[in-house]
Parts: sequence; C-alpha cells; structure tokens
Amino acid sequence: MKTADTIASLTLKIPSIKPTNTVNDVAQLFLTDDFKHLLSLPIVDKGTPVGLISRYDLNKVYLKMYGRELYGRQPITQLMTKAVSVEREQPIEAASQFITRNIRFPIMEDFVITENGQYVGVGIVLDLLKAMERRVLLRTKELSKAYQSLKESQAQLVQSEKMASLGQMVAGVAHEINTPLGYVRNNVEVTQNLFGQTKALLENYEQLVALLMAETMDEDALGEQLGLVSEMSEPFREEGLLDSMQDLFKDSLYGVDQISELVMNLKDFSRLDQARTDNVDINKCLDSALNIGKNVLKYKVTVKKLYGELPPLKCSPSQLNQVFLNLLTNAAQAIEDKGTIWIKTWADGGWVHVTIQDSGKGIAPEVIKKIFDPFFTTKPVGEGTGLGLSISYKIVEQHSGQIKVASEIGKGTKFLISLPLNPESVQKNPASTARLDSNEVTEPEAD
Amino acid sequence: MSDKPTILFVDDEERILRSLKMLFMGTFKVKTTTDGREAIEMLKQETVHVLVSDQRMPNMTGVEVLREARNVSPNTMRLLLTGYSDLAAIVGSVNEGEIFRYINKPWKSEEIKAIVEQAAQIAIQLGSASKSAPSKQVAAKIQAEPSISDEAEGLKILVLDEEPSTYEIIEELIKESKNIHWSKNVEDAFAHLSQETVAIVVSEVRIQDEDISAPLKTLKRYNPNILTLVLTSFQDTKSLIELINYGQVYRFLPKPIHKGLLEKSLRAAMQHYRAMQARPELLMRHVVEKPKEAESTAHRISDKVLGYLKKIRARRPDSSEAVH
Repeated sequence: MKTADTIASLTLKIPSIKPTNTVNDVAQLFLTDDFKHLLSLPIVDKGTPVGLISRYDLNKVYLKMYGRELYGRQPITQLMTKAVSVEREQPIEAASQFITRNIRFPIMEDFVITENGQYVGVGIVLDLLKAMERRVLLRTKELSKAYQSLKESQAQLVQSEKMASLGQMVAGVAHEINTPLGYVRNNVEVTQNLFGQTKALLENYEQLVALLMAETMDEDALGEQLGLVSEMSEPFREEGLLDSMQDLFKDSLYGVDQISELVMNLKDFSRLDQARTDNVDINKCLDSALNIGKNVLKYKVTVKKLYGELPPLKCSPSQLNQVFLNLLTNAAQAIEDKGTIWIKTWADGGWVHVTIQDSGKGIAPEVIKKIFDPFFTTKPVGEGTGLGLSISYKIVEQHSGQIKVASEIGKGTKFLISLPLNPESVQKNPASTARLDSNEVTEPEAD
Repeated sequence: MSDKPTILFVDDEERILRSLKMLFMGTFKVKTTTDGREAIEMLKQETVHVLVSDQRMPNMTGVEVLREARNVSPNTMRLLLTGYSDLAAIVGSVNEGEIFRYINKPWKSEEIKAIVEQAAQIAIQLGSASKSAPSKQVAAKIQAEPSISDEAEGLKILVLDEEPSTYEIIEELIKESKNIHWSKNVEDAFAHLSQETVAIVVSEVRIQDEDISAPLKTLKRYNPNILTLVLTSFQDTKSLIELINYGQVYRFLPKPIHKGLLEKSLRAAMQHYRAMQARPELLMRHVVEKPKEAESTAHRISDKVLGYLKKIRARRPDSSEAVH
C-alpha cells in the first residue's frame, strides 16, 4: 500500500512528554509556538504511549480556583485521558472509521500514531477529514468514469442485440423472398419463351393474310402456309395454354406484391432512428412483425388475430415492431411442435392494449421473475443474448407503457403490453380490463 | 404421350407448382402435389422418373419425403429445390435423401431443365436395367447384417485427415489395418489413389488450412466408383451444396466425429460399393454436374495432384463398357 493511502501520511513528529512531567511543564509547552496548533499532547513511557493530555482538560484545571497551585506540581498522569491510537500502516478509511467511533465529542484531542505499538507521532482530525475528502473526490471521479464506460458498453450491447436480431430477420426474409422470386423468374422465362412462339406465329399469320390478299392467288403456297399456321398454333389450343399463361401472370403479380410487402416491412424495422411518429396503427405494426417473423412462425404456429379498433398512437413504430417481433419469436420458440399464438388488441380509458399469448410450454415461477433481467436467458450459450426481453421492457417503459406477463407450465404464456395514448399525462394505471394478476392462462375469446 | 418421362414436384406453394408445370409440360408428364404423403402414395402407384421436392413444408419436410421415396421407389432420381439452405437440410438431403442435385430457389429455367432432363435419362436407363436384371440384394442384406469388419473384407479405404482420431476410429471398427491408408496431406492421398483401387475415401474438407473440395470434386468426376464421405466442422453451406452437385458426396459427417454415425455411413458405403459392382448401371446415379468455372477450379488443384488425378482417370474402368 502506498504511504499516501495510509495514516503514515498524516504523521506529525511531535516530541512526546514523559509521565513524570508536571502539569506546569505541560502547560508551558502548550504555550510554545511549536505546539500551538495541537489540541493535545501525547504522553509516552519508554516509547509506549500511555495517554493524552488535552489543552481543554488542562484549561479546566487552571480555570478552577487555586487550580494551578493544587495541581501544578502534580505529574501530568493525574489529568491524562486514554489516547486514541492507530498504527501508521492502517489505511486511511479504516483508521478514520476507528477514530470517529472512539474519539470524544466535541473534538478536543488529536490521535496518536504508532508503529508496532511504539510512538511515532500524532495526527490531527482535521487533516484526516481533508484526506478523506480528497479520497472521496477521487473515488467519485473513478465512479463516474466507470459509470460512463458501463453506459457505453450497455449501449453497444443493445445495439449488437438489435443487429443480431436484424441479421436473423434479414436472413429469414431473404429466404422468404426466394420462393416468390423462384416462380416469378420462372414465369417470366416461360412466358418469354411463349412470346417468341407467339411472335413467330403472328408473322406467319400475316404472311397468310398477305397470300390471301394477293391479286393472283398461289394455292400451293397458301395451303402450305395454312398448314404451318395451324401447326404452330396447336400448342396454344391444347391444354388451355392461354388460360394457364394468364394464371402465370396473376401469380407473378402476386409474387411481386409479396416481395415488395416483405421489403416494406423490413424497412419499417431497419430504421435505426427512434423518431416518434403520430398516427401509428398498432394493428399494422403487429401485422408487419408477423410478416417479418413468418419464417419462424409459418410451419408450426397458427396465428389467431383478435384485433379491436384502435385509435392512432404517437410512438416509435420501429421500436415497437422490435418488441412485437421479439415476443412473437419467443412465443414460437416456446411451442415445441405445433401450436397457436393469439394476438388480441383493444383500447380503453386512454390506453391501447396488446396481448400476445402462446400455447407453448410455459415459464416456471422461479424463472418468470427474471425474464426481464438483462442477460437472463434459458437458451443455450450462443443462441440468445438474454437481452431481448430486457430491451423490450425498456422500450415499453420509454413509451410510458407497461409490460406484464402471466404463465402456466404446460399451458402457455401471455404477455400484456399497455401503451398510453397520451404519454405526457399518464394515469397511474391502465384500466381494469388490462389486468393480468392471475397466473391462469386461458384461451382468449373475441369480445 | 406415354413416351414422356414422368416428373413429380412437391412444394407447399401452389404457384411454384403451376410455374414448374408450365416449364416442363412440353417434355414431361408433370405431376404435382403440395403434400409429401400424397407424393409417396403417387410414387407407390406409378413409375416416376424424377422427384423434385421443396424442403420446408408443413406436414413432411423435403428430407423426409426424399428418404421415404428412396424406400418406395429406388429408381426415381431425387432432387431438392429449396429457398432455405440450412445445414440440417443439406446434410439430411445427402445422408438420408441421397439426392442427385441440390437446387436453390430462385433457379434459372434452362439450368433446371438441363439437370432434370439428365436425371430423367438416368432414371429411364436404370429402369430398363433393373427390369432386365431384378436384384433383391438390398433386401437380403437387411436380414442378417454381418459385422462391419466382415463387410469391409477386401475393400480399400483412404483416410485423408490431419487429425489422427478419424483414422483411429476406422481402424478400431474395421480391424484389418492393411486395407486402410492414412494420408495427412492431399498429395500423398492422391498418389495412393493413383496406385490402388480404393473403394471409399473418408476426407476432411480442410487440410493444412486449405479447402480441398476442388480435388475431391474432380476425383469423383474422374472416378465415380469411389464413394466419398466428407468430414467437416465448417459450415459454409454454399460449398457443401457444391460438394453435392459437383462432387456427389456420399455422406456428410459433421465433426467432432460421432462413432456410430461413422460406422453406419461406412457400412452403407461398403454395401453401396458392392451393389455398384454388381450393377454398374447404378454408377449413373452419381454423375456429377460439369463444373462451370473449369479453369478456376483447376487453379485450386496443384499440378502434382492434377497429375495423379489423370492417372486415376486412366485407371478407371471404362464406364461406357460398364453401363449399357
């Protein structure tokens, strides 16, 4: 330990007085310049401190009638008190605690500093206070620096969680796009091929017309051309080719719409700004989260939507989409084979409510307390950051809303999110229709 | 009409089915279904030359459909057409589905046409060959399974891996160590292959920190008799798909090695090798796709290895004699 951190740094090397010194000797010493800043003097016998005489106690004696005459020649040990002594190696904090506990109030003495029980000097309480103050100041600086870097790394973690879920989402959506892209491309190639045939047919048909319109009719050529045209148009007549082509066009348009919808939804998510927008329809946010999460949901989950009519909300849709997607993918993961997710929305008393409920395996009571804690995860290492729900919680909180959970093992889990229409004048609690106090999870019904 | 080969498409998206039907209508008798179980029923009832299945479907996955198809209609050529290239699908399609090609969505119509037509040709030849010489040896094998060391009798195995564990496990399984050659580098392996008639190659994809899939693919092109079991710990889906299409890998074995899986795969490879010797037409199933970037592939094979590969090609029994 550095000397600056121990009591040694406060040592004043004051010559001690002996137990045999008289009261008068000591009174004289107190008057000298050397000792004028001291409240007390140490009494040391063969190197060992035996006590302390304070200026205050001495004054008390001298102020009494005949005090000087009665006590002046007595040994100073008559008036001494017990010294508060600390070892010089003691750290300042520990010494300070010891001294404040043991020293007399009001403060009328200094403390004695020893090394292996031997006297080395005295320390002044005021110096101790100053040293402590300096240390507190330093500590505060360190703390605020630590706090700052903690805040930064937390922001980074939140960002990386967002990037991770974004990456997963993009991969899922890219796969999702491959299917419509597959048939749209193929349809275009098929129809392009057919278009070539159509064009050739049309050219031959025009030649046929030209032959028909010619002033001198060449019957052989006409017959040959007629046969050619009829042969070329045969594939178009059989198996309802033209109708099928029409279907291909319809399918292609549908596919292109699917792709653009996915891309649009992706755009809603990827906005990294957190700007609040007016007039957000939460039902639409949920639809867009469902669309983006399709990849995870499609084959194992039946989604039952029980949407109510909702007033427009001022919020950050990209953030709320993130919350909804997080809850939906969690719900899907909780379902082991096949199951149902119910999404219900309604509005009342200045609040918009959303419940997302699954028929999954449920969360154990000892786990449910921790699900919103950062870094808590039940997924294997490397699969979840443990930040999804804690970020969701934060986002809802930033919207002055509430997120609650109820779960029953083997039956499922239900999350309730309540968002105020007017975050500036939030009522304390959402209306009673949005209670989630029982841990019974029952199948929701449409109102 | 009846001379057109039959193709069956399985996909849960009807638009994909309609689209593919239009593409193949002219040259194939096209059957489609959105349900894997129905596809299996169709395979039982009539001759289907080519089966093309999607992977992600609600009731049965593509791998499950292909695996079932292998049992009920072994002569049907199996292909996977998917927009999801996840590792499980790739490994499953090889190990369980024993597919001919892995095609990604979106596809190019000319490419899929060429692949499917090639597959159909193979299926037709296989069909006529198996009619002339019906062989029930596969069923016979199942009744009394000999030990793997008996099974390995007379078959040479090459292990190409820097780590000793692969060789050690195989030696422990087969016991007859004179038939197992262990190479730690590519040159040694191909030198050995150019001198010996090896039946099975068990190889890592990365040797001395280099991707050796190019020589593995070329090996299969030059000598389709050799069955390759590929061990890999790296999960680059694109290169695994290429190993299927250009290298006709017989099995993928994820690392760390699972002894049971290795044993099962080795046994299957040995049986298949013997089956191919008895019925050389089976070789056709393993025709690899012609590499598109022949030059760039060649660049990744050292001249020395390329020299060995040429010797390997020269050693190979002429396939035109073997295949009727």
